[in-house]
Amino acid sequence: MTVEQISTVADRAKEATASGRAPADGRPRTSMTTRRHRAFYMFTSPWIIGFLLLTIVPMVYALWLSFTTYDGISPHWRFIGLDNYSELLADPVTWDSLGRTGLFAVTSVPLSIIAGLGLAVLVNRPLKARGLFRTLLYLPAVVPPVGAGIAFKMMFDQNSGAANGVLNIFGIDALGWLADPYARYVLLMTVLWGAGNIMIISLAGLQDVPRELHEAATIDGASAWRTFRSITVPLLSPVLLFQTVTGVIASVQTIMPLLLAAEATTAGVTAIPQSNYMYMMHVFAEYFALGRYGYASALLWVLFVLILIVTGLIFRFTSGVVFYNVDPEAKK
Amino acid sequence: MTVTSSNVTSVSRTSTGGGRSAGSPPRVRLRTGRLVLYTVLVVITGLFLGPFGWLFLTGLKTSAETAAAPVHWLPTDFQWHNFADAFNLIDFLGYARNSLIIAFIYATLVTLSSAWVGYGFARLDAPGKKTLFGVLLGSMMLPQMITLLPTYLIFAKLGMVDTYWPWVLWGLAAAPYLVFLFRQFFAGLPRELEEAAIVDGCGYATIFWRIFLPQSWPVLSASFVIAFTWTWGDYIAPQLLLSTERSTLAVAVMSTYVTTAGTPVTNLQAAASVMYVVPILLIFLVAQRGFVAGMSTSGLK
Repeated sequence: MTVEQISTVADRAKEATASGRAPADGRPRTSMTTRRHRAFYMFTSPWIIGFLLLTIVPMVYALWLSFTTYDGISPHWRFIGLDNYSELLADPVTWDSLGRTGLFAVTSVPLSIIAGLGLAVLVNRPLKARGLFRTLLYLPAVVPPVGAGIAFKMMFDQNSGAANGVLNIFGIDALGWLADPYARYVLLMTVLWGAGNIMIISLAGLQDVPRELHEAATIDGASAWRTFRSITVPLLSPVLLFQTVTGVIASVQTIMPLLLAAEATTAGVTAIPQSNYMYMMHVFAEYFALGRYGYASALLWVLFVLILIVTGLIFRFTSGVVFYNVDPEAKK
Repeated sequence: MTVTSSNVTSVSRTSTGGGRSAGSPPRVRLRTGRLVLYTVLVVITGLFLGPFGWLFLTGLKTSAETAAAPVHWLPTDFQWHNFADAFNLIDFLGYARNSLIIAFIYATLVTLSSAWVGYGFARLDAPGKKTLFGVLLGSMMLPQMITLLPTYLIFAKLGMVDTYWPWVLWGLAAAPYLVFLFRQFFAGLPRELEEAAIVDGCGYATIFWRIFLPQSWPVLSASFVIAFTWTWGDYIAPQLLLSTERSTLAVAVMSTYVTTAGTPVTNLQAAASVMYVVPILLIFLVAQRGFVAGMSTSGLK
C-alpha cells in the first residue's frame, strides 16, 4: 500500500461525505464525533448481532421450550408451565449427576491449578533445556479431546492397557479402570494431563512478579516457601482466580466422560459408567437418546443459573483476597 | 503483551543466584538439589508423554496384541502398514478434507470478524461502549455447551443441519476471546497511525483495512492458528450438526473404527488418532510463540 493509494481513497471518502449527507453542516466537530459513534457500532455490530442471534435467541428459545413437552416429532406438544422443573427436581438422577459434577469440579479445578502452578515454578528455574521441558509439558494441552480420550481409553484398557501392565509388575490384579468406581480417576487424570495450559499462563504471571520483591525477601532471610506463599501467590492471584472460574465452567461442560465411554456417540451416553455420569451427560441422554427437548432445556437452564450463582460466589468470596497490582509501573 | 522467555530467564537467574549465595551452602548441596530437580522434571515429563507413546505403540501392534492380557509392552513386529490400513478402512482423506474445509472457513472468517470488532473496541467509542465491553468479557464465560443444544434445534429448523453454514455464521459472529486479543493489540498501537488518515478524511473501514490490518500479522496468524485448532479439535458440534459422510475427522476417528459386528479396531484407531493429532502438534510447534502469547494475554487480564 502506498501513500498515493491512501490519498485516493481519502479523496473518494471526502467526495462521498460532501455529496452524501448534510453539506456545509458548519459543525465539523459534532459530525466527527457522530461519525466515530456510528463507526463504533458499525465495527462492533458483527459481534452484537451474532451474540443476539447465536447466544441470546437460543437461550430464550430453550427457556420457552423448557415450559413445553416439545420433542421434535410429536405435533401435539403443549405448554405445561413449570412441570418440567418440578419433574427434574423430583428426579434423583438430576441430583446424583449434579453431585458428581460438583465433586468433579471441586477436585479437578484445585488439583489442576496446583499442578499447573507447581510445573510453572519448576520450569521457571534456571535449567538446561528449559524451553524443551516447557514445550513438552505444554504439548498435551493442545491435543484435541478426541485424541486425549482415545489415548486414555487405551492406556487404561483392562486387558492391554499400560496402567494394568504396571500394576502387574507389582503383582497387583488388573483393575477395570474404565468402569465403576475407577472411571472417575481416569477422568481426573485426563484433566491433569492438560495442566500445561495453567503452567503457561502462570509462567507469564511469574514473570510479572517484580524482581525487587524477591530480592528484598531474600535479604530479609525469607525461606523459598515463605517467598512463594507471601509474594508469588498473592501477585498471581488474579490469574489463579481467572483459572478457577474458567476451570469450573469447563469442568461442568466436559464431554470427556462420553469420549472415555465404550461407544462414544451422542446416543451412547447410556454406556457411561455411573461414576462419570455427569449432569451434562444426563442432559445429552434426555436430549438425544430420549428426544425430550422440553425437559432437557429445563435441565440446561437450571445448570446455567447454577453456573451464574457459583461464578458470582467465587468472585464475591475472593474480592478481598485477590490482589490486583494497581501500579503498572511496578511490573517493570 | 508478548512473553519473552529471555525476560523470565534473567529474573529467575538473579533471584535464585542471590538465594544460594546468601545461605552459602557447600557446592555439594547445590548439586544434589539440581539432581533432584532434574529427576523430578524428567519423571513428570515422561508421564506427560506417556499417552502419546502408548497411542503410537498401540498403532504399531497386531490386533491380537492389542487384545492380549497381560499387556504386550512392545509389538513383536512393528506393523507399519496399520497406518496405511487406517487410511483405507474409512475414507480418511475425505474426513480430513471436511475437517480442513470447516476449520479453514471458520478460522478465516472469525479472524477477520474478530479483528474488525477488536478494532472498534480498541480505537473507537460511543455511548454504551463500557457496557458492551463488559458483556463481551462476560460472554467469554458463558458455557458454550449450554447454548449449543438449543442452537442445534434452531439450525435444524432452518435446514442448516448437514451443511457448513453454522460455521460460516459462527465465523462471522466473531469470538469474544479473539476480539479481546485484537483489542489488546490495536490499543497498543500509536495514535498517529490513524490521525493523518482522519485528517485526510479517510473512512474508518479504510483505516482498518489499509493501516491497521497490515500491521497485525502476528496477531492475525495467532488468531487463525487458535481458531483452526479449536475447529479441528471440536467433536460435539460436528457430531450434532453433520451426517456421518459430511462429518469431520474428529468424529470419524472416534466412532468409525469398528468392525461390522461393532467391536472397535483398536490398533487402527490408534494409528488414525496419531495421524489426527500430529498435524495439530506440528502447527503448535511452528506457531508456538504467537499461540502462547495469545493464551497469556487472555489469561492475565
